[in-house]
Amino acid sequence: MIHEKSFFHRFITGVDIWLFAALAALVSIGVFAVYSASFNYGVSSKYITVQTAAFLLGLVCMLATASFNYQYYKQFDKVIYALSLILLVSVLIFGVKVNGAKRWIDLGPLSFQPVEITKLVYILVIASFLDKNWRNIGKPSALAYTFAILMGHFCLIMMQPAFSSTLAYFLVTLVLLYASGAEPFYLLCISLFCGLTVGIPLFIEFLKLQEFVMNPVSLAGHFVNFVQGNVIGIFYAAVAVVVLLFAVWWFLWKLKTKISIIYPVLLGFAVMFGCVASISVEKTLKDYQRKRMVVFLYPETDSRGAGYNVIQSKIAIGSGKVFGKGFLKGTQTQLGFLPEQHTDFIFSVIGEEGGWVFSQAVIVLYFIFIWRALVISREARDRYGSLVAIGIAAMFAFYALINISMVAGLMPVAGVPLLFLSYGGSSMVSSMIAAGILFSIHMRRYTYY
Amino acid sequence: MVWQREDKFAYEMFTEKHKMILVFFALLFILISSRIFYLQIVKGNHYKRISEQQRMYNTHERAPRGIIYSDNGSTMVGNDFSYVALFYPFEQQETPSDETIEQLSAILKRDIKPNIDRSWRYGRVVKLAENLTMEEMFKIQEKKLVLSGISVVKEPKRVYPFAEPNSHVTGYTGEIRADEIERLSEKGYKMGDYIGRGGVEQQYDEYLQGVDGGWQLEVNAKGHQTKAFKYVPPEIGGSIQLTISQNLQNAAYDALKNSATGRGAAVVLDTKTGAVKALVSSPGFDANKAGTRDFLKYLKDKKLPLFNRALQALYPPGSVFKIITFVAGLEVLNIDPKAAYYCTGSFELGDRWYTCWLKTGHGNVNLISALAQSCNTYFYELGLKLGVRNIGKYAADFHIGEKTDIDFPNEKKGFIPTPEWKKSRTKMSWLQGDTVIFSIGQGALDVTPLQMAAMISAVANRGVYYRPYIVDNIVNIKGEKMYGHTVETKSAVELSDKTWSLLHKSLIETVENGTGRRSKLPGIKVAGKTGTAENPQKVDHAWFVTYAPADNPEIAIAVIVEHGGGGGLNAVPVARKIYEAYFGLEPQEEPDAQAKR
Repeated sequence: MIHEKSFFHRFITGVDIWLFAALAALVSIGVFAVYSASFNYGVSSKYITVQTAAFLLGLVCMLATASFNYQYYKQFDKVIYALSLILLVSVLIFGVKVNGAKRWIDLGPLSFQPVEITKLVYILVIASFLDKNWRNIGKPSALAYTFAILMGHFCLIMMQPAFSSTLAYFLVTLVLLYASGAEPFYLLCISLFCGLTVGIPLFIEFLKLQEFVMNPVSLAGHFVNFVQGNVIGIFYAAVAVVVLLFAVWWFLWKLKTKISIIYPVLLGFAVMFGCVASISVEKTLKDYQRKRMVVFLYPETDSRGAGYNVIQSKIAIGSGKVFGKGFLKGTQTQLGFLPEQHTDFIFSVIGEEGGWVFSQAVIVLYFIFIWRALVISREARDRYGSLVAIGIAAMFAFYALINISMVAGLMPVAGVPLLFLSYGGSSMVSSMIAAGILFSIHMRRYTYY
Repeated sequence: MVWQREDKFAYEMFTEKHKMILVFFALLFILISSRIFYLQIVKGNHYKRISEQQRMYNTHERAPRGIIYSDNGSTMVGNDFSYVALFYPFEQQETPSDETIEQLSAILKRDIKPNIDRSWRYGRVVKLAENLTMEEMFKIQEKKLVLSGISVVKEPKRVYPFAEPNSHVTGYTGEIRADEIERLSEKGYKMGDYIGRGGVEQQYDEYLQGVDGGWQLEVNAKGHQTKAFKYVPPEIGGSIQLTISQNLQNAAYDALKNSATGRGAAVVLDTKTGAVKALVSSPGFDANKAGTRDFLKYLKDKKLPLFNRALQALYPPGSVFKIITFVAGLEVLNIDPKAAYYCTGSFELGDRWYTCWLKTGHGNVNLISALAQSCNTYFYELGLKLGVRNIGKYAADFHIGEKTDIDFPNEKKGFIPTPEWKKSRTKMSWLQGDTVIFSIGQGALDVTPLQMAAMISAVANRGVYYRPYIVDNIVNIKGEKMYGHTVETKSAVELSDKTWSLLHKSLIETVENGTGRRSKLPGIKVAGKTGTAENPQKVDHAWFVTYAPADNPEIAIAVIVEHGGGGGLNAVPVARKIYEAYFGLEPQEEPDAQAKR
């Protein structure tokens, strides 16, 4: 029998203070930043009200999930997976179209993004599957199952379309597979396959932006012209790589370094299939889409178009220098040079007005949050709890890394929010729920309830 | 913690991997931390500067150019202010609507086509209409509500009081062209600046340009003005004091304009300093019209009004060049000036006949009367005896075939032919016939009117050759001297006193009794030499070079009337008008004289 009082008592005593403190600090920095970012829109009270309300709602949800035994998720994994699929299908049917993508479900006064909920459900489900099959995880069949579960969400999200959300899905899956003991070599092959699929078209686009391509004598120029000229070109390159792989393997074999034939074969398959898949990606992506994905490397080539956001964001962050320009005094933010400043580019607002001190503080607070989540994972009372905590840690880590890399000009601009800081009710509530699940795992590390 | 105890081995494997994941994330976080460190601390100042640049916008108030004065302080180029309709992007979110433009077109009764490209937001102010009258300005101000974003501002405008006579001295101004910006951007010229073209406006542009002023504003990403920081008033450019006498300038221009063809040039030099008292090329143009459609007519005009004949046009000097042959004969051959020569009216060389301009012949002449009467056959004979090199040497001594280095743009240097030049050019040897026509200033010889003025000035000075100049000094708004001319000489012409005396005597004789009789002035002794530059296709050019007073020279004049025929008939009266203006004489009925070359 659980009394209300005893729950709160346990919550207060059992909660991870570090985690909660980092969370609270991030949210409060975020509230100030959102206020500043929306100040020049002239509707700052609206944004800050929504953000605070979302935080309070999230706090309630957090307490609820913290009090709820996370082990029930494992018992009902099939049910919640089915529910999440229904949610994703319903957004495709009933969703509201914003900027050409159906990502929102409108419920009168409230509207939310289902993908923010389903990304948590996915972690709960995939952790449950890996926990139940941990003895077989080395087998390829278990990998296939895992990716089948991933594909259910992945395909539905791609139909919205919301490419950037699926990136974190994929990375979280890889981390969870690794943590639950999957063969790292298989994961390497999978990563290689995906890397080639997306990487080759982008690499070609990247080469095209280089000056030496203009010079047909150079090797790289030849390569690009060759690959552009006929698709078979990629195959020649792939076959060459595979032959090289086998040659190295054979050489090592002769040197008495015996490596199973399965490794070069798998790597070869990854390379070949990666190249095949890359052709279809190359064909589907439009010219401007490909360009947009590499333009962050040379934003000046398109300073009024695709490169504008990156340039302005870098100027905003850089011009903050050590101590920043002061609250509500950032010229990039307040004069509207910085785009999407209350959502995806909130970190640039912090960088400009708070300077290096605050932007570094945000990174440190994030790291504390992830470090505590990993500690919770290590101390969890069962494997399921450990895996869920690792999944949540990885999700927060990748969202933060992708977002900050993007605003700092290290990655293409993808619509990934900075959790806890970016304006947005759905992501705030779902992040608080994720924190609630972490607390739930932490509070139950010694006993059953 | 349950599973740790239940399955120790599995848990240890898990903690291994767990550690790897923590290290992996730590590395990635260090990576982005160092990127942030690089952006904010290493490159902080760089990005700070860019962020300042993109929020600052300077409205541009063009500074008036400096004023140009004549020798007695009358204004040759001044400034007026005209009203210009502008579109200020930072007061308006969108480009001016078609409706606004239509409204403005209706008020001004002009067809306005704004030149707005896509980058207007961050770009400059768009100029919609220039030269508005006060009335038009008030009309626009009245309808300011309808004409959103349109402002009327005061802009300086160049005013040229004696536009046509002074046109080639002053030049004109125009908006800088793209190719000029490329060339001059290092000197601080930028889009929308006005730049001098031709004359003093071009030569002394750097001094005339003032310092532009304007408002320093803060604008947001949409180009709206959010704050104003400070106002810098524009500063007028330096004012230039010319050596030009407006009086002589007008007299020379009128005389040329009313000459036989109305085309030609005249240069008046102060013999004691080389100062240009007047420099005229006819026809001139109205510099006030620069930038308007009317100005385009000048470009198409066959009379080439934009061409500065005084120092850009090349003509054969004709008989004026006999001065050179004259001094070469005395210096090299030491010929007897009294020795008689009989002019039959023609001269035989090989199988060709070279005629004198007076078909009947001059009869008995000597060196002095041959120059005064401009007898060709005498100088054919003399030239043959001298040879081309001796004549060429004295021509070069008088700085013919080189620039006078006047402070004026685009001066031509002229040309003295040599046997080597002919060989390389036509593969034919220099013939005696070439020497014959060279000795009377025909053939490939080319000079500018300015060179002839400088030459006759050197004759008046007994060989002292001053570098001609037009700008005396330049003073900036604070009264500081930015530039001052110091009188310079070029290498002097070294001739014996006897030669100078004989030359002066002959030149006076030319005016007293010879071909230059029409410039004879009451009470003032004038010396000069007429010339007729033969022009194979068209009517000959009329030349006259002269100085006065002959005993104590003050001014030297060179006049050419294009296609004017004989020099004595057409060029001399122009010089006479200039003398009358200079010495303040009543214009007189010209002494009746027969048409002379």
